[in-house]
Amino acid sequence: MRFHSLAAAAFAAAACACFAAPEAIRAELTARLQKQLPETMLSDYALGSAAFDPELRDQINENAGANADVIAAGKAAWNAKFKNGRSLAGCFPNGGRRIAAVYPQYDPHLKRVITLEMAINQCLKSHHQPLLEPGDAATMGPVVAYLRSLAVGQKIAVRVPAGAEDGFELGRRLYFSRLGQRNFACASCHVQGAGKRYGDMAISPTIGQATHWPTIRDGKPVSLQARVRECLEFMGAAPFPIGSEELNQLEYFITYLSNGLPVAASPWRPR
Amino acid sequence: MRAALAALPIAAAVLAMPAAAQQPVAAPDIFVQVEKGNCIACHQVPEGAGPRTRADLGPALDGARMRALGRAKIRALIDDPTRDNPNTLMPPFGRHRILDAAEIQRLVEYLLALP
Repeated sequence: MRFHSLAAAAFAAAACACFAAPEAIRAELTARLQKQLPETMLSDYALGSAAFDPELRDQINENAGANADVIAAGKAAWNAKFKNGRSLAGCFPNGGRRIAAVYPQYDPHLKRVITLEMAINQCLKSHHQPLLEPGDAATMGPVVAYLRSLAVGQKIAVRVPAGAEDGFELGRRLYFSRLGQRNFACASCHVQGAGKRYGDMAISPTIGQATHWPTIRDGKPVSLQARVRECLEFMGAAPFPIGSEELNQLEYFITYLSNGLPVAASPWRPR
Repeated sequence: MRAALAALPIAAAVLAMPAAAQQPVAAPDIFVQVEKGNCIACHQVPEGAGPRTRADLGPALDGARMRALGRAKIRALIDDPTRDNPNTLMPPFGRHRILDAAEIQRLVEYLLALP
């Protein structure tokens, strides 16, 4: 109740009819961050908070193999044969190689944005297989981690074609709307406070945030949407469910902002 | 409220002391509790006056600056900093009922007593 009334007010306040072209938004945010963070190269934004924290960077490098078990589990699920002899790998071009960098993507037939998780479930559904919970770290998480590992180094290239603008705008508004008891927006920390420290934790810039998901924490994959939910809870807002239209559009917006930066294999994170 | 009233003479005595003679005061629990003020997540305080962090999302807090602001201004800032600055990152601790009046008062007195 608390969240929904605040969210409604925030959206109403932000919902002017002033849609800006996605590329103009990305360019403006990039310029702002580069002005704020003159000592950080744009390419380093892909490191997230580690771009501003040499100790964290060292820890990530020391734990470079922390994703191995998760990716191996994802690979096994990816290649497992269904009863009809097909597999997840057979649903995607090139067995899924180099496709993750263009997700989320707008499906003009369904008239909605499709995340990797949704694409995986579309495949399972078409082969009459049980669907995976999009936020399940034990099942969906490894599959996504593996699929993204097949695109490591590929530059993110999310498009916002005709028909997708409204969803992109919903994601943008959500990112910039102050929510919850703490009255934070995503942008409060990741634009205004990018590169600064919240407690001992360096704050990642909005550009580059989508390059390295899922992260690996305590041996388990943590998706971008799961991490956003943690932020929303911290903000004192009841978080949207994983796989909700709101989080899908937010992921679409955030990922678009990382266009041109390379996909990274699920890095380890301490928290 | 009783705690707040009890704190007033102490704060007045602290204010009357020369700065060099002031001793660091212990941070109240609400200054560090995540579900309460959690002030240390954004602000640093002088050594000995609270836990050390590398936080710099908000400005460092020191007694001279706090005393220059004064009790009423600090209270108003904690209650709702967006009144003065709509773009501030600081939560409206009073307006959004994160802290009650007595808790805000405890913070005010702590901040005024900082070295």
